[in-house]
Amino acid sequence: MSEIEIEIDGNLVKANQGDSIINIADREGIDVPRFCYHKKLSVAANCRMCLVDVEGVPKAQPACSTPAANGMKIHTKNDKAKFAQKAVMEFLLINHPLDCPICDQGGECELQDVAMEYGSDVSKFNEGKRIVPDKGIGALIQTDMTRCIHCTRCVRFGAEVAGIVEMGETGRGEGVKIEPFLTEGIQSELSGNMIDVCPVGALTSKPFRYEARTWQMNAVQSVARHDLVGSNIYTQSYRGKVKRVVARDNDSINETWISDRDRFSYEGLNHESRALKPKVKIDGQWQEADWQEALKFATDGIKSNAKSPEQLGVLASKYASLEEFYLLQKLARKYGSENIDFRLDQAQLSNGSSLESTITLSEIESIDHALIVGSYTRLEQPMINHRIRKAALNGASVNTINSKKFDFNFKTGLDVLTAPQKLIPMLQSVLKSIHNKTNKDAPSFLSKVSPEDIHNKIADDLIDSSNGVIVLGEHLNSNSDSIAITSLIDQIASAADLKIANITLSGNSLSAEKVCFMPNGKGMSATSMLNESTKAFLLMDVDCEYDFFDSKSAQDCFNKEDVFVIALSSFESQSLLSCADVILPMASFYETSGTHINFDNQAQSFSASVKSPGDSKPGWKIIKVMADLLDLEGFDYIDSTQVREEALQSSKIKSSFDDLGHESFDDSQIMTHWQYAPYATDNVTRRAAALKESNIGMINSAFVSEVTAKKLGLNDDDLYFGVPVSIEDSVAEDYVFVHTNQARKA
Amino acid sequence: MNEVCFKNLDKENPASFATYEANGGYKVWRKILNRELTPDEIISELKTSGLRGRGGAGFPTGLKWSFMPRNQEGQKYVVCNSDEGEPGTCHDRDILRYNPHSVIEGMAIAGFVMNATVGYNYIRGEFMEPYYLFEEALKDAYEAGLLGKNLHGSFVSFDLYTHLGAGAYICGEETALLESLEGKKGQPRFKPPFPANVGLYGKPTTINNTETFASVPEILSRGGQWFADLGVENSGGTKCFSVTGSVKHPANFEVPMGTPFSKLLELAGGLKEGRTLKAVIPGGSSTPVLTAEASMNMTMDYDSIANAGSMLGAGSVIVMDDTTCMVKSLTRLAHFYYDESCGQCTPCREGTGWLYRMLQRILDGNGKEEDLDLLLSVSEKINGNTICALGEAAAAPVESFIKHFRDEFEYYIKNGKSIVEDEHNLIEEVSSV
Repeated sequence: MSEIEIEIDGNLVKANQGDSIINIADREGIDVPRFCYHKKLSVAANCRMCLVDVEGVPKAQPACSTPAANGMKIHTKNDKAKFAQKAVMEFLLINHPLDCPICDQGGECELQDVAMEYGSDVSKFNEGKRIVPDKGIGALIQTDMTRCIHCTRCVRFGAEVAGIVEMGETGRGEGVKIEPFLTEGIQSELSGNMIDVCPVGALTSKPFRYEARTWQMNAVQSVARHDLVGSNIYTQSYRGKVKRVVARDNDSINETWISDRDRFSYEGLNHESRALKPKVKIDGQWQEADWQEALKFATDGIKSNAKSPEQLGVLASKYASLEEFYLLQKLARKYGSENIDFRLDQAQLSNGSSLESTITLSEIESIDHALIVGSYTRLEQPMINHRIRKAALNGASVNTINSKKFDFNFKTGLDVLTAPQKLIPMLQSVLKSIHNKTNKDAPSFLSKVSPEDIHNKIADDLIDSSNGVIVLGEHLNSNSDSIAITSLIDQIASAADLKIANITLSGNSLSAEKVCFMPNGKGMSATSMLNESTKAFLLMDVDCEYDFFDSKSAQDCFNKEDVFVIALSSFESQSLLSCADVILPMASFYETSGTHINFDNQAQSFSASVKSPGDSKPGWKIIKVMADLLDLEGFDYIDSTQVREEALQSSKIKSSFDDLGHESFDDSQIMTHWQYAPYATDNVTRRAAALKESNIGMINSAFVSEVTAKKLGLNDDDLYFGVPVSIEDSVAEDYVFVHTNQARKA
Repeated sequence: MNEVCFKNLDKENPASFATYEANGGYKVWRKILNRELTPDEIISELKTSGLRGRGGAGFPTGLKWSFMPRNQEGQKYVVCNSDEGEPGTCHDRDILRYNPHSVIEGMAIAGFVMNATVGYNYIRGEFMEPYYLFEEALKDAYEAGLLGKNLHGSFVSFDLYTHLGAGAYICGEETALLESLEGKKGQPRFKPPFPANVGLYGKPTTINNTETFASVPEILSRGGQWFADLGVENSGGTKCFSVTGSVKHPANFEVPMGTPFSKLLELAGGLKEGRTLKAVIPGGSSTPVLTAEASMNMTMDYDSIANAGSMLGAGSVIVMDDTTCMVKSLTRLAHFYYDESCGQCTPCREGTGWLYRMLQRILDGNGKEEDLDLLLSVSEKINGNTICALGEAAAAPVESFIKHFRDEFEYYIKNGKSIVEDEHNLIEEVSSV
C-alpha cells in the first residue's frame, strides 16, 4: 500500500491509500460520531452519522466507507459536516422512544452520548412514534426493539463473527425490523456480544434488567476463568454484588468478544446454595461454627485421620487460582503427602503434564489447515473456535475426527466419525500414511497398519499444509486410551510438521500444571487415591457429584465412616453435605485476587471485584491458616502477590506419554462418553439461572446411532443414566455421546 | 418520430426475429462475429453519437463503457436495467414488447466491448407480458446462433438470462438491482466501489437502461454522427417519452431531443377538453415539478429542462391541469417514496415517513402554519445524505411543489380544504390517498 498525505480538520496526516476516513480520524484522535461502524465488523454505511465534508465533493460523505485519497481535504466539524450530522441525529431520534429513565442502556448509550452533542433540546416531530413489537430472542438478551436504530451491528456480528444467520433485517422502509428469522431465539455461544455491540437499549442483558443503573456500578478489570483463553472482562458490581460482566478489549486474547459463559455465569455467585458460614459435622449433624472452631476441627481431623502423611489426599477443581493451587500443593507436600491432583474428570492419567501447545491464540488465525480431534470447539472453547473460524473464513481447510458430527460455524471438509475406542487404529493409520507419503520409515508398532482411502486423505491435507495445526480436544479426557492417543497426536504433529493446540484442559488447568498440582513420582493420582489407604481428604471447589470421572466411586470413598473430608467450597451442594465433615466457605470467582494462566502461557492476575458473601474467605487465606494450625513452615504470606511470585518460580513436570503398546483398550464394548454441556462445567456456571434457561444451557441428550440403540434396547426419549435418548445417524457406532447438563445418575 | 427504438412499430409483428432482421437487425452483431468491428471503434462511435444513459442520470454511454476494465482477468457481466418503476414511465416496457431484439443485440455488443460473456436482463416484477415476450425473443436469438458460446466458431461468447424482479421500486437503483439479482434483499450498496469495478457477484459489471441498450445497434449501424445529428448539442439522438396525465391521448413517443414540449403535448392530443395547463413533471416523479409557463418555454433535452429547473430523468412527462390539487398530488408522491424506501439508511427511512405524515395531516385538515417550513427543512436534511438517490427523489417533489405552489398549500392549511375544490366546486374525495 502506498503512503499518501491528507488534510483532516486542518492537520496534515499520513495514511495508507484506501484507508477509510474514520480509521484515520480515530488514529488522530478526531472524534467522528458513528453508530453502525464497528472496528471488528464490516462497513455498512447505513446510519449516516459519520458524514463529513470532503472538499470538492458536493454531498457529505460517510467517513466509514469513504477511502482516503492523496491530497484529500476533509472537514469533520465544519458547517456542512455538522449540518449533515445533526440532520441524521434528528432523524434517528424522531422515532426513538427516548425512554432513557427506564432503559438499562442509559448512561452508557451511544445514542444518548452523541445526542448530547448533535441533538436538539426540542423535537419538531409532531406525528405518532413508531412502536415495534418484540419477538423475544431467548433467556440471555432482552429485546426492546422500539429503541432500535437499525444500525445492523447485531446482524453483522451474527453473520460475520458468531457465524449464525439468525438475526436479520426484515421488512422495508419504516417497517424494517431487526429480528430473528426463527422463533427459537439466538443459539450462539457468543450471543451476548450482541448486547455489547448494540449502540442503544434495543438489546440489553436480560439477567441484568432493572438491577442497577450503569453509573451506579463499580467496574473492576478482571479475567474470566471458564476456559483456556482467560478473556479480559470488566465486572460491574453494585452494593457488593456482581451485577454484570462485559468484555474488555485485548486484541491478542479475546479481541472485543467474550463467550456467553464468561458473561452470564456471574449469576451463580448469588445462588441460594452459597456456603456462608463454616460448618462442622458432629455425630452426623451439621452445626454452624466460627472460623477458629471449624479450622481447628478440620486440622485436628487431618492429624487424627491421616496419621501417616501419605494418608492425606488433596483434590481441587481446575477452576481454582494459581495461588490457591500453589498453596494447597505446598501444604500437602510440607505435610508429607504427594497425593495431589486436579485432573478429576480424566479416565486415564499420565505421570506428567499434558501435551504442550505450540501455537498462540493469534497465530491460529493464520493457519492454513486444522485437524480437530475429539472436540466440539464451538461450545468447549468458544474463543479458540472463533480464531479457527477466522482462519477458515480466510481459506484454511478444517477436517475433524469426532465421535459425533457437530454443528461447527465454519465449513469443514472431512468429518470422520470415529468412536473413542477406535481412535487409536484411526490415528495409527493416519500416521502410517504420513510416513508412507513422506518416504520415512514408520516405527515398528505400525508394521501391521494399512491405511485406507480416508486416512490417506487426512494425511494428504496434513502434509500439504504449510502452516497446519492439530487440535486435541476435551473429549479425550474420558477416553481410557488417552495416553496412547496423545502420543500418536504428538507423533503425527512431528511427522507432518504441524503445530499442536491442546485444548483437552480447561479453566485454570495450566496454573495447576505450572505449580505441579499433581503427584510427582510416588504420589497417588485422582483416581488411585480414592481407595482404602486415604483417610483424610482436602477438597477445594470440588463437587462430588459432577466433577469426577467416576463420581460414584468418589462419593463412596468420601462417605466411608473412617474417612475425614474437609471441603473448601463456595457452595453447599447436597452431595457435599453428605460427603464432607467440615465445610469451609470460600470466596468464588471475582471475590478474590488471583492469577489465571492461559493458552498462550500468559499469567494474568486480577484483584477481587467484590467482597465474598457471609463469612466466606479467600481460598489462599484459608489454606495459609490451616498450614499454620498444622505447624507447617513457610506460610508467612502477607498478601497474595507474594504467593504469586513464589508460584511463578515453580516449574512444571515434563509431559509424559508412555508407550502403552499402542493397543486399543477394548474396542468390543459399547462406550459411553459423558460430556458436560458448556453451562454445566463449573460450580458457578452450573448455578447461573439465565444460562441454564438458554438453548445451549438446556442441552441434555444421549445421542446414539440406530444400530447401537438396538443393541442397547433404547428408544427415543428413553432415559439413559437419567438423560433422554436421541437416536441420530450422526453418531459413531458402538458408542453413546451423552451431552448433558446433569450429573451422571447411577 | 420513432426512428430508433420504436422504428419497427408500424411493421407487422414488430417484436419478431424476422421483422427485426429484415430491418437491419443483428447486422452489427454479425459484423462483430466476423471480426469486422473492434471494441475501440464501437466506443468511439458511441462517444460521437452523444448517447447518454436513458435511465435517468444521463451519463455518457461511450465514456461509461470505456471505463470498464475489459482486460482484467476473470468473469465480467453486462446487466440491463429493465426495472422500469418510475411513476409516469412505461416506454421501456414497450421496447421490451415491440423491439426486444434491439435490447438483446445491444447487450451482446456491450458484452463484446466489455469482454463480458454473461448478461442479465432484470425485468420489473409486474412486467409479465414483456417478460414472456423477451424470453421468446431470447429463444429465437439462441436458435439463430446469435447467442451462446464460441459463436460462429469465433472468439466471442455471450449468454443472456432474464430475471424477473419482485416488485420493489428501489431495485431500479443499479446496486440494489445487483443485490436483488444475487438473490439478496434489494438494498442499494454504498459507493465506492462502483459496479464497474465491484459489481454483480463482486465482478466488474456494466449496467445500462433498456432504452440505452436498444439504441446501440441502430447507432452503430447508421453511424454515431447520424444519431448525434438527430438531436441537439449535448443531447444526441432521440428519446422515448411517456406522456401521461391530463392529455387526450396518453402514449409513448420517440422524438428527437430538443423537440419543444408544446409539440410533445400536441402529439398526445393536447390537454383534455376545457382544461388549462397548470404544471408538468418532465422526467418522472423524482424530478422537480415545473409551472405551465416554464414548461411551455422548454424543449425536451437535458440542458433545456435543466435550465427550466428540472431534469430530463427517465422521460416520463406528467401533465397536470387546473383541476389538479397540488397538495393531494404531493401527498400521493410522498406516500410513494415512503412506501418504497428500502429502510436501510436513516434519513430516507425516517424522513420519508415524516414527510408523508405531515402532508397527510395537512390533507386531513390538521395542518399548521409552520408545517411548510418544516417540510422544506426535512427535505433539505434528507437531500444528499442518503446511500442512494431515493432520498433526493423524495425531497425534490416536496421542494418544487412548495416552491411553485406555496399559496395552494397555505390555503389548504388555513381552510382545511383545497383551493382547487373551492375554485372549481368539484365534488372530490380529497382525504383518501
